[in-house]
Amino acid sequence: MRRRLVLVTLLFASFVARPSVPSSFSQTPENAPSPTAETQPTSSETSPAPMSTDEHKLPELLPQEREDAVLVLGELRSAVRLSPDSAKDRLKLAQGLYRIGDLDAALDECRAGLKLEPNNAKAHLQLGITLMAKQDGRAAATALKEAILLDPEMTHAHYSLGSVQYSLGNLTAAIQSYRRALELQPNFPDARYRLALVLKLTNRHQEAARLMEEAAIGGIPQAQYFMGNAYRNGQGVEKNLALAIRWWTTAVEFGQQRGAESLSQLRRQALSPDQPERRRKEAIDAFRQYRDGLWAEYPDAVRNDPNESLGIALLKDSQASDGVTLLFAEAYALGETAHDELARLYESGLDTRLAQFDKRILRCFETTAADGFIPSKKALARIYGKGLGVAPDLQKAKAMLKGLSKQEMKTVLDDIAGR
Amino acid sequence: MLDASRLWRQFLSSSWLQAGAMGLLATLLAFGLWAAAPTTFTALDWTVYDFWLTHRAPIPVSPSLLIVTRDQASEEEFGSGPWDRAILARLLTSAHEAGALTIGMDHRLDHASPAQLGGAASDALLLEAMNSAGPIVVAQSLDSTLASDSMIVGHLLVTTDSDHIARAVPVTATGDSPSVPAFGIALYEAFQQQTSQTKPSLSEESRGSLLVNYVGNGTVNAFPAVPISAVWRAIEHHENDRLTEWFKGRVVVFLPNPVTGGSWLLPTGQTVTGSVAHLHVLNMLLTDNRLCRLGAASRSLMTLLEAWLVAWLLLQFRATISLLFSGTAIAVYGACILLSLVTAHLVLPLALPLTAALLVLVGTTIWSHLTSHQRLMLLEQDMIRLQQEAAAVRETLVLRETRAETLQEDLAVARAAVAQSTGQQEELSRSADVLRSQLTDAQTQEEEARRKLEGLEQQLHSLRAAASAPTAMGDVELDRLKEECRRLNIITQDAGLLRLYRDLKKGAKSQLTVLLLGEPGTGKELFARAVHRLSPRASKTFIAVNMAAISPELFESELFGHTKGSFTGATADRRGYFELANHGTIFLDEIGDLRVDHQSKLLRVLQERSFYRVGATSPTTVDVRIVAATNRDLQRGVSEGWFREDLYFRLTGLVFRLPPLRERTGDVPILADIFVTEIATQMGKPVPNLSNEALRALVEHEWKGNVREFRHCLEQAIALSDGPLLTKESLRLGSASPPSAGRAKPSDILPDPASDAAVLNCLRQYGFDMQATASALGWDRSTVTQRLKGLCFQALVESNGDQAKAALAIAGDPSHLRTVELKLMDYHSHLLSVIEPYATADEALLECKRRFKNLPDRHFRSVEALVRQHVAHKPAQVKRGEAS
Repeated sequence: MRRRLVLVTLLFASFVARPSVPSSFSQTPENAPSPTAETQPTSSETSPAPMSTDEHKLPELLPQEREDAVLVLGELRSAVRLSPDSAKDRLKLAQGLYRIGDLDAALDECRAGLKLEPNNAKAHLQLGITLMAKQDGRAAATALKEAILLDPEMTHAHYSLGSVQYSLGNLTAAIQSYRRALELQPNFPDARYRLALVLKLTNRHQEAARLMEEAAIGGIPQAQYFMGNAYRNGQGVEKNLALAIRWWTTAVEFGQQRGAESLSQLRRQALSPDQPERRRKEAIDAFRQYRDGLWAEYPDAVRNDPNESLGIALLKDSQASDGVTLLFAEAYALGETAHDELARLYESGLDTRLAQFDKRILRCFETTAADGFIPSKKALARIYGKGLGVAPDLQKAKAMLKGLSKQEMKTVLDDIAGR
Repeated sequence: MLDASRLWRQFLSSSWLQAGAMGLLATLLAFGLWAAAPTTFTALDWTVYDFWLTHRAPIPVSPSLLIVTRDQASEEEFGSGPWDRAILARLLTSAHEAGALTIGMDHRLDHASPAQLGGAASDALLLEAMNSAGPIVVAQSLDSTLASDSMIVGHLLVTTDSDHIARAVPVTATGDSPSVPAFGIALYEAFQQQTSQTKPSLSEESRGSLLVNYVGNGTVNAFPAVPISAVWRAIEHHENDRLTEWFKGRVVVFLPNPVTGGSWLLPTGQTVTGSVAHLHVLNMLLTDNRLCRLGAASRSLMTLLEAWLVAWLLLQFRATISLLFSGTAIAVYGACILLSLVTAHLVLPLALPLTAALLVLVGTTIWSHLTSHQRLMLLEQDMIRLQQEAAAVRETLVLRETRAETLQEDLAVARAAVAQSTGQQEELSRSADVLRSQLTDAQTQEEEARRKLEGLEQQLHSLRAAASAPTAMGDVELDRLKEECRRLNIITQDAGLLRLYRDLKKGAKSQLTVLLLGEPGTGKELFARAVHRLSPRASKTFIAVNMAAISPELFESELFGHTKGSFTGATADRRGYFELANHGTIFLDEIGDLRVDHQSKLLRVLQERSFYRVGATSPTTVDVRIVAATNRDLQRGVSEGWFREDLYFRLTGLVFRLPPLRERTGDVPILADIFVTEIATQMGKPVPNLSNEALRALVEHEWKGNVREFRHCLEQAIALSDGPLLTKESLRLGSASPPSAGRAKPSDILPDPASDAAVLNCLRQYGFDMQATASALGWDRSTVTQRLKGLCFQALVESNGDQAKAALAIAGDPSHLRTVELKLMDYHSHLLSVIEPYATADEALLECKRRFKNLPDRHFRSVEALVRQHVAHKPAQVKRGEAS
């Protein structure tokens, strides 16, 4: 068991050690995203879809990492020079070469290692992974099957074989491989997520939803996003927009930008006058239920008023860290009280948690204002009108007030002029 | 066999049937040609359609249709190869949110996304987007790795014709799975369902293919399109108004595949992809600009109809007119094709009907030539049949007439009896009524028979006219035949005789026995010689034998030869005519005058071509072509028993009836010219000229002896004439020949029209038709009957009771023999029945006087002779009867 864990860790580290790429559907379990909203990418929720979704694309190493990798590679090459008949050294060199993207050289080293030790399952696995990167699915499948033949309990070989089988269109074989990987290593959220995806594509929605939820709980942001979708569409689970918001929000917190898009879409559904009343009410209720649901996670917090913000309550209760996070969550979920509090905190700041004119608050306002949230529009008009943390821009402020009633516009404009 | 022959006759006489058969044959041939050269024929078939499609005003583009195409900017953004399905998912979702009614996407879900393009996650995103925006119409693929309930699969197949041009798309594609509708049709149906809530069943209705009404030149550029990059920018920047403006209420089709040249060649000369062709289908359906074409059965039917029409026109009309009409029919059909295309968007077949029509054009001409001879023969057979029927009807008529006459006489007798005996008046009046009704019946029947006869004669006349029509010849051919005839000493310019010569020429080449019929002097021997000269035996011997001139005793010896010592006087071996004519032709003239026992001997030669010389023990075999001739009616001979039926059938291999000179009066002037020159030269006289009057008299004269008599007449005239001009008088035609019937009044026939000879002449002239003779003479019919009856009795007395001899004497012409024989027999039997009850001649004569009171006295003498003769024989008969 220990040996297996070491191997998995080693392999994961070797082939998907990529930095966090926002909105990626990458399958790297170790690629843990920032857990909080503070670390949300600055690209806003309208980030483009054609992001790098390359599952087996080689990691783009940071300059520092690249330097380290080159150094390590030099050492590995020296080791191979010193002991050319050592399959282990050659395998390590192959991994190093794979990491920096020299796939052909990595393949050569793998094959050289396999010549020295034909029954080396790891070498076959490395060969399979490298061939996957070379998009040679059939050869990769052969190499991975060879690795499994030599070591049937090699979890990652099963997992990789699942991916290869899927890309070859063998969905049933892919499901089998993922299931085998999960049997060998039940605590493998990424395999669970992959299995859920393939099951979903074969219309086995209930099992897919169950596995997807487990993967989402296991911290896979893509799974969280898909769970949100499943709850929105009622696919495999009972339709529940509040839970959908919850999962999307979690996905956004884990860096999955599609969640932000879905949330934005739902906000527009709640706020757009063009939408049918039933759909609007459905969306508004869902956001309210979501905000109410947040209270359930903090049983100690006292709620006096249905409109009261959990974030404010937690801030008052000296739980500043959670308070700020929840204020953002509530504001994104159209919570007006939390929004107003954030507007206040934008101008005043909150000790070390929130700086004055915090950009995250500004981005939150801009996002929700774009979806049609009136309080955000007003707040932004005030910020731009008064030049709070930004260059004063009255035109922009007035543009923000477009669509509001004359009375509301007058109030805001008076407020700006009263400075 | 009989049925087949009747059917064949019916077929040849019906231009409808022939046209139908020709049309059917041409249609089948046209199909065969199409199968042999499908590319050429397909291209020809679509020529008008392609021309129209390329040169007409372009059809409008539906405002409900929006195409979103991949462009350079989007390729720069998303790559030049296949795209991540997550992009497509977002496009679909945005279009749906912006209010697109129906969405289609030229994308196949036949493969899982590779890891580089998002893998399973992107696939799941696309399926989710399709579920929420659906139903989405996607392109059909062989393998459907991914499937969704909200996905409608549409095939992108295009039907190419044999000339490799894509003009239609199949409505549905069928394979192992249930039938898949066409991409464009599926989109249209989904759109209709959204807008009108009724499901159109275009894909369920039809299993064939749908002609594509292309917009412009048929490429994707003919449609207004929005680039994907612009749509993407609008999505990115939340430009919802723009998206709504583009998509709301429309059929949106995404073309996210890399832009390629396409593989389908259009009639406009452009090459497009299947999806573009289907976009044109979609637009065609949205704008309701559908094109229709006929099914295979209708196309075949059209072809058949056109071919039939052309064939019928060619058969029904003659020469240039028929060609003109056929050409018009083809041109009208061509105009119909164009008109139906322009007005009704209906594509009619071109190649098949055109080919079939041309085949018919050629085929019908050949057919007419091939069957003209057959048709002629059939017409001749018809004529013969009608002649026979006419003869039979004439016989019936004779009997009816006689019966009517007898009844009239009986009536007269009854009336006389009434006058004499008032006591028996009632009884007699009853019998008179009966007789009257019988008379009426007989008269009615006679009238019917007469009408029937008239009808038959009319048919015969029309058949004669028709017989000459189908074989109409051109002037050039006539001249050629005339020249050929001249070389064979046959001098004529009569088209009928030339036609006969043409047929004879064709027949001469065969081995068939030839029978030449015709009156004396019509040139039978000339034609027999022509048969010989035109046959392959021309270089061999031609032997002409006059059968009437051979002594009956020497018949065998003359024809078959004899061996030395076979009879007294046979001092040496002698070869007969048959042997002499070996490898050549033997012409048996006057075959109708052959004795019956000789007929059987001749029959054996005709059958086996072998015979025994007189006195020889071994047979002699010869190879002889036989040409026979007669002026007698052999068919009647067969029916009357004086000619063997089997010999008759042996002889009638090829039968030619030579027309008498009176039927070809056009030849009289030319013959006159030639004969006058010849005769004058022979006599050493200057060649005289014929006056116009003389020539007219020659033309009008009825030449019973035909050319021979004609020549003799001229010889006589030239011999007796001294002047340079032959006048009418010098021809001496007046008393020698009676003028032709119908042109002269009865008073012109003879100085005494009431004389027996004149009446007999008139009767002969009208074929012993009482009615006609009576009207010609201006008499009552019964008077003519009485006169004939008297003549018959007189002839019977003169021939000592030999009815056949008497009949021949009255008939004069053998053609009337049968009629006269019947009448004579009837008169005689009536006479006998009248005198039968009386024992003595005086009593019988008294009764006869009463019965035959209208009979001229000079004829009553004959009656008396006959009665006395009968009574004289009677006691002997009675005595013989008692003794037995």
